[in-house]
Amino acid sequence: MSQTLQSPEEKFLRKIFSEHYKHGGISVVSPEKREFGFGGWEKKIEFRHIGVKNEEQLRAKLVSEAPLYVSHSVGYYEFPDARPMVRKNWLGADLIFDLDAEGHSCGKFTCQHCMDKVKEEALQLINDFLLSDFGFSKSELSINFSGSRGYHVHVRSDAVKELDRDARREVADYVTGTGLEFTRLFWADGKKFLGPNPSQGGYGGKFARAYVEKLNDDKFALSVSRKLKKPEERAKLKSAIENGNWDNIGITNREKKLQEKFDQMKLTLAGRIDANVTADTSKLIRMPDSIHGGSGLAAKRMEASELKGFDPMKSAQIFTSGTLRVKTTEEVPEVPHLVPEHLAAGLTLELPMASAVYLLCKKAAILA
Amino acid sequence: MADLVFCSHYPFSRQAKEYVSGKGLELTSSILDKAEARVKEAVLDGKIRRVAELPDTMEEELALYAASRMIISSANNRYLINRYAVAEAKRAREYLNSDDASRPAFIDEVASEFGVKFEKSGEWYALPLSGYLAYTPRSIDYKLSNREVSGGKVRVKKMERLRILEEAVKKRTESSLPIRAEFQPEVKAAGARILSILPKLETALIRVGQEGYPPCITKMIEELALNINVPHTGRVALAIYLVNVGLTTDKIVEFFRHAPDFNEKTTRYQVEHIRARKYNMPSCSTMDSYGACVAECHCGTPLNFRQEIHGRRLKRMEEENKGSEKP
Repeated sequence: MSQTLQSPEEKFLRKIFSEHYKHGGISVVSPEKREFGFGGWEKKIEFRHIGVKNEEQLRAKLVSEAPLYVSHSVGYYEFPDARPMVRKNWLGADLIFDLDAEGHSCGKFTCQHCMDKVKEEALQLINDFLLSDFGFSKSELSINFSGSRGYHVHVRSDAVKELDRDARREVADYVTGTGLEFTRLFWADGKKFLGPNPSQGGYGGKFARAYVEKLNDDKFALSVSRKLKKPEERAKLKSAIENGNWDNIGITNREKKLQEKFDQMKLTLAGRIDANVTADTSKLIRMPDSIHGGSGLAAKRMEASELKGFDPMKSAQIFTSGTLRVKTTEEVPEVPHLVPEHLAAGLTLELPMASAVYLLCKKAAILA
Repeated sequence: MADLVFCSHYPFSRQAKEYVSGKGLELTSSILDKAEARVKEAVLDGKIRRVAELPDTMEEELALYAASRMIISSANNRYLINRYAVAEAKRAREYLNSDDASRPAFIDEVASEFGVKFEKSGEWYALPLSGYLAYTPRSIDYKLSNREVSGGKVRVKKMERLRILEEAVKKRTESSLPIRAEFQPEVKAAGARILSILPKLETALIRVGQEGYPPCITKMIEELALNINVPHTGRVALAIYLVNVGLTTDKIVEFFRHAPDFNEKTTRYQVEHIRARKYNMPSCSTMDSYGACVAECHCGTPLNFRQEIHGRRLKRMEEENKGSEKP
């Protein structure tokens, strides 16, 4: 690895990253079957096709090479370092879901609103799709903060290990509702208008459950029909839907109105997961618990039950001791737990280590 | 004790294999001739005839199945294998249809052959998600988004479960062929005769090879021409490549015409979209991560291939010339 062109900031970061990897920062199942990729100051993956014999060897590499980014393949191979890919002999892969705040118009610096949104989506993915629809158990899920602005869910299960790209895309399409023909959930049977009931699976069941639940909301109920002002009318409609009978929702523009309600309910994760990541059986993905060189935060792993209360900007900090003098090179907004207040450009100041590292990683400050 | 009726209907099953290895069926010239006719029918007409259920003919069916696989393996051509697999699957489907009414236990047995269990509930059947994803045909009718999915199970209709098993037979046949073995001369001769059915397609492929396309692109074009399903990422890369080397949309669409799921309107739209958005050609390393890289040409992107190869050849010629100038 070329050392000659490193800036003082890169050198400093590599030094503290290397220190960290002496004891922590590794969480990978079957390292001997994975391909690893290391990244530096300019590229998140500079070197790939790296193979290791065991965790110990991986640790030695991380300490000596001190990459700013560490990724590993979602796939398992017989020969992880062979090239081209076909010679690696693919043995299977975890099923991956990648959620990112980018779609929430979050800028260079992470904001609380976007992080909260993406966490909600991760919870929806886990609860409404992975656990309930797909029937995975919590122990088959490994969840981690991406280290930057999103979350990754790795599903490790024999049921999905050998699925090919097409099958994985089908799974991603389900989660995003791609190819869903909503109107096919409803049909006319004589004079009756029938549709899904809350106990059935798939999007039909999701919609019926959400609809019945929403009927408790006055605004929603009145938007369906003014008749539903009366509680007994609402109860009647609910119990009809329990039986898959949607007669009582009115006749004019029935399908269009249902479609509108469906879109409002956001039951799909359309545009919220990266389908290409899920479909890719040889993708390199951030190694859980490794340091993200774009933030200095850990791609921290957590249990499904911990996600709800997880605050990445606080809980994923690694460099929590000491302070460092840095000089900002651009304007920096307030970032919860990391940047206490708006900072002007060209400001020299002493910051807690995690904050200083965050700004160096963002290339928004230099050592002072 | 293996059931001969079951084995003859589903000769790809473990039970049938056990039956055959127990009996030690012989590869006579009469069996070989009949098997060749069976393979020929499969490849040309896309079907394999069913036979009467007599003990002798049923045993012969097993021998014919084994011999057919040898012949098709000896021919060793992906297109033939895929055509043959479709015919074997159709044959199995006919038996599945009739057994569903008269011998329902057979259906469960075939399903378990593929590690799948259909649970009946009312009019519906539920199967595990993994089996559904592995074996359903990739068509809009089986789009998972429109299915009732719950607790790791997917609901299908009675007839759909037979269609899924048919697809499973096709996939198993495709992936289990060719058998790598040294065959006796008579089998090889039969294989060569089957291969001779194919002259038209072969010439089409040679033409493609002469365009100077890089190996990854050539391979995808060949696979598409042979009805092999190329993954979405690969197809996009292929279309980007063809747009960039200056082909018209009409010409590009032709490359996809033999894809198993070809739809002219969709393909045309997607190619136009790629052209309008000026998509970038994936780099060689991206192609590699798609599993689409098949050689080490070191040209950065498939688009550089022609220049690179041409350049290297020029350089080599120059060097050779220099060498010859020396005394």
